[in-house]
Amino acid sequence: MEHIKTIETRNLCESAKNGGCGECQTSCQSACKTSCGIANQKCESK
Amino acid sequence: MIHQYKLGDYNIVLDVCSGSVHAVDEIAYDIIAMFESADRRTVLAAMGEKYPQVSLEELETCYEQILGLKQAGKLFAPDTFEPMAGKLKQKTAGVVKALCLHIAHTCNLNCSYCFASQGKYHGERAVMSYEVGKQALDFLMEHSGTRRNLEVDFFGGEPLMNFQVVKDLVAYARSVEKEKGKNFRFTLTTNGVLVDDDVIEWANRECSNVVLSLDGRKEIHDKFRVDFAGNGSWEKIVPKFQKFVEARGGRDYYMRGTFTHANPDFLKDIEKMLELGFTELSMEPVVCAEDDPSALTEADLPVVMEQYEKLAQLMLKRDKEGKPFTFYHYMIDLTGGPCIYKRISGCGSGTEYMAVTPWGDLYPCHQFVGEERFKLGDIWNGVTNTQVQDEFAACNVYAHPECRDCWARLYCSGGCAANAYHATGSVTGVYEYGCKLFRKRMECAIMAAVHRALGE
Repeated sequence: MEHIKTIETRNLCESAKNGGCGECQTSCQSACKTSCGIANQKCESK
Repeated sequence: MIHQYKLGDYNIVLDVCSGSVHAVDEIAYDIIAMFESADRRTVLAAMGEKYPQVSLEELETCYEQILGLKQAGKLFAPDTFEPMAGKLKQKTAGVVKALCLHIAHTCNLNCSYCFASQGKYHGERAVMSYEVGKQALDFLMEHSGTRRNLEVDFFGGEPLMNFQVVKDLVAYARSVEKEKGKNFRFTLTTNGVLVDDDVIEWANRECSNVVLSLDGRKEIHDKFRVDFAGNGSWEKIVPKFQKFVEARGGRDYYMRGTFTHANPDFLKDIEKMLELGFTELSMEPVVCAEDDPSALTEADLPVVMEQYEKLAQLMLKRDKEGKPFTFYHYMIDLTGGPCIYKRISGCGSGTEYMAVTPWGDLYPCHQFVGEERFKLGDIWNGVTNTQVQDEFAACNVYAHPECRDCWARLYCSGGCAANAYHATGSVTGVYEYGCKLFRKRMECAIMAAVHRALGE
């Protein structure tokens, strides 16, 4: 019986090894301008 | 740290530090809840009691699966990121990659809820000259280091009240970007009043994104978004926005609404936007003083929370009907989203992102403009108020004590410094009301992503 379905996600711990290029968009620059969300940002190096 | 919640038809377990997301059944959900606080025997005994119809063997299988995920680093992963918190900012110290150009501190609308106080930012009306704007672009190019993509947002007030300067600045940027090895990405934020064919043609050629302000239903929009004679702007701008968006031909745009105490039931406004043919939507809680009549109240909170859930359901329903739409805060890319450095670094205001006033003064972001204490310097001499800049440089997710126990901290990076400052007097505080809304949005976004990933 399948109790758990694991969704494919970017491994954040792994991203510590190769992340940090800083090319991504500044956090609220484009749309909302009144809150900080980073989950909806694209990674520019992927 | 994990976060468990039930939403839609799902039991969801988020492993905060690995970023793993699991959709689980009731048994796994209950075992995970006890897993770190009780030993195997206690957990299995409790589950045997709760699920008498399930064999002990099956419960053990489930327990083993959870243990396997823990060993694989996909459940209960520890937070080992704190030493990395300042690294990205250290590495990029002095590098600016985005500017918000306050091209016009004046507006042709008189929206009482405007955080920029009708574009004036608590100061005098003014427009940015070409010379100031050009110097701002030069400042950005000079201070952007090896960064190729540079973002510039034309903001106000209403930037189209100074459109010629906007056009001239873009022409200047385009004329030098190649030789400087840069790629400018322009965004225009507008209330729509001055949108015409010339604006549409220019924006579709030059702007990677446009943000169009519309609050949704006519009666809601016209309650706040009025001209100086008190006339609503909805009738005037909606046809223009429809034309604008159609002409964009798939390029990015957002219809951006604000919801207030007058419409905590903002889903109706989202539905209105959809009815008008718009599909890229953003709807933001108003930012204003607590005693402002438009401020959201504690009584509004459950209404707003429910709206977010219904919005996620509507999104999935429309997916199924082949009529998808995007809600800015529900965009979440679980496989390709930001790396951990980005997630812990804070929003970037005051360091990699700054706002430029019509006079060329630099502020940490558009929301701090007019707060004299936060003035960083100017575009001719750069940042001279290093004390304030240091405050922002240190403002990463670990700088907010309240965030340490929050499961959503790697999705907001510690939240908005301006919101924190206005709520608590400190940029390292937290705006708890906003946090509640943010967490709900993330629960909904993750649920929708799970639904899509499972192809259901």
